[in-house]
This record gives sequence, structure tokens and C-alpha cells, in this order.
Amino acid sequence: MNLYKYASPTMFYPLAGKLIPWFAVPAALLFAAGMYVGFFIAPTDFQQGDAYRIIFIHVPAAWMGMFLYVLMAIYAGIGWAFNARLSSMMASAIAITGAMFTLVSLVTGAFWGKPTWGTWWVWDARMTSTLILLFLYAGFISLQAAIDDPRRADRAGAVLALVGVINVPIIYFSVQWWNTLHQGATIRILGKPTIAAPMLAAMLIMLAACWLYSVAVVLSRLRCIILEREQNAARFAEVNA
Amino acid sequence: MHWPDLSMGGYGFYVWGSYLFTLIVIVWEVVSLRQRKKVLLKREERSPAMRPTVLRGSTNETTS
Repeated sequence: MNLYKYASPTMFYPLAGKLIPWFAVPAALLFAAGMYVGFFIAPTDFQQGDAYRIIFIHVPAAWMGMFLYVLMAIYAGIGWAFNARLSSMMASAIAITGAMFTLVSLVTGAFWGKPTWGTWWVWDARMTSTLILLFLYAGFISLQAAIDDPRRADRAGAVLALVGVINVPIIYFSVQWWNTLHQGATIRILGKPTIAAPMLAAMLIMLAACWLYSVAVVLSRLRCIILEREQNAARFAEVNA
Repeated sequence: MHWPDLSMGGYGFYVWGSYLFTLIVIVWEVVSLRQRKKVLLKREERSPAMRPTVLRGSTNETTS
């Protein structure tokens, strides 16, 4: 079997269709499991009471917003550098899901900030840089929508996506670099997490659910994009025949 | 297992608001994707002449 053949959009289309349920079903199961652990097993926090339970969606959503941005930039960059159509289409398919997770992280953060900080929003380093991330996604999506020629749209999007990558480490390290209202990292790459085991478990299960969900919706959107471009190309060929 | 207090110790609006917003976003994304696909497939049916290769079901395998 030659795996390279799947780099062709027409070959990838049916494969993506077959893969979707393998991600969608486990995603739904893990969402349910994460909610169960988060609400039935994880104890009430001694400082924040039950308000902290927003963490189970807030943190995974914020991570996904950042991960998906980097992934989108990588796909866009590969598509641009190697003229790989499918890779560029993948970047376009990721953008909306990434933007939605970023929006969820901002809104759930506001819902968490109001009762614990006394405000829905502050122009704090982490929140401001996350808002910029949302604007970068919006810029990528509208830039691509504004250009008719799909390959030119891919290249323009790639430039924007790659320049914007600089924002991701800024978000990540903002809590260390600036004096901020936002709390520091709960999970550390080195060293112990500063969180109780069931809370951590719920958060990680929700993160896994978010990943699987993202793969399912991104593949499904990728199929739409492939179909749209094929249809447009066919129509173009017909008109110019 | 303990049944959680639905009022979330007074934070119910914020906790359930967060999850409700997330649910709305997910439902919106899934429904709009279905819609997008439906429109595309309908466009296929209307003019099968320009049926793109992805839907022809042929596996034009060049290598084994």
C-alpha cells in the first residue's frame, strides 16, 4: 500500500469519511466521562467552591485554541512551501474549530472571572493575547474568504498564519512574563501539577475529548472543502471548454 | 458517588452558563457542517455532469 496516494484530495476524501466515526464516537464518550469525573467525583475546591468546575472546559478549550493554531500554521506552511493542496485545505479546515475553542476559552474565562475576580474581563496579558489569537483566526478565515483563487488564498493565509505563530508562546508564558491577574499554570511540564488527582483526571479526559472532537469536525470540514474545490474546478472547466 | 449540588454553591449561573455556551458552540458547529455538506451533495444531484472525481467512487490506484 502506498500511503503517499492519500496526499491527493480525491483519494483522501473517502478515507476521511471512513475515519470520522472513529473519532466522533470516542469523543462523545470521553466528554460524558469527563463531565462525570468533573462533577461527581472531583471534590469542591476549598478556596473557590464549585466555581472552579469551569476549569474542566476552560483549560482544555484554551489549550486547543493554541494547539490548533500551531497545527494550522504548520499545515499552511507545508502547503505553501511544497505546493501541497491537501495540506493547505487542512489549514482552512482547522481554522474555524480553533477559533471556536478560543472563543469558548474566553467566554468560560469571563464566566469564571466574574465570581472569583469580580469582573468579566480585564486587559490582562493572558486574556489580551488570547483575544489576539481569536483575531488572528478571524483574520485568516476572512482573508481566505476574500480571495477567489483558492491557491492564492492558501498562500496569503499561510503568511498570516506563520507570522501569527509568535503569539502562541506569548500566551503561554504571559503568566510568567507579566504581573497578571490570571493564575499560573496548573499543569507543569516539569514537576508536579498543583491540582488534586480527580480534578486533573477530569481535565485530561476533557482534553482528550476535545482533541477527538476536533479531528472529527476538521475531517468533516476538510471533506466539504475538497468537494467545494472539486465542484468549482469542474464548473470552471465546463465554462472554459 | 455524590450527586452534585445543582446550584453549585451559588455559582450555578457561572458554571452552567459556561457549559451551556460550550454546548451551543458544539451544536452550532456540527449542525452547520451537516448543512454545508447537504448543500454540496444537492448541488451534485442537480448537475451530475460535473460530478467531481471524489464522488465517482473509482479507486484509480497507480501503485500497489
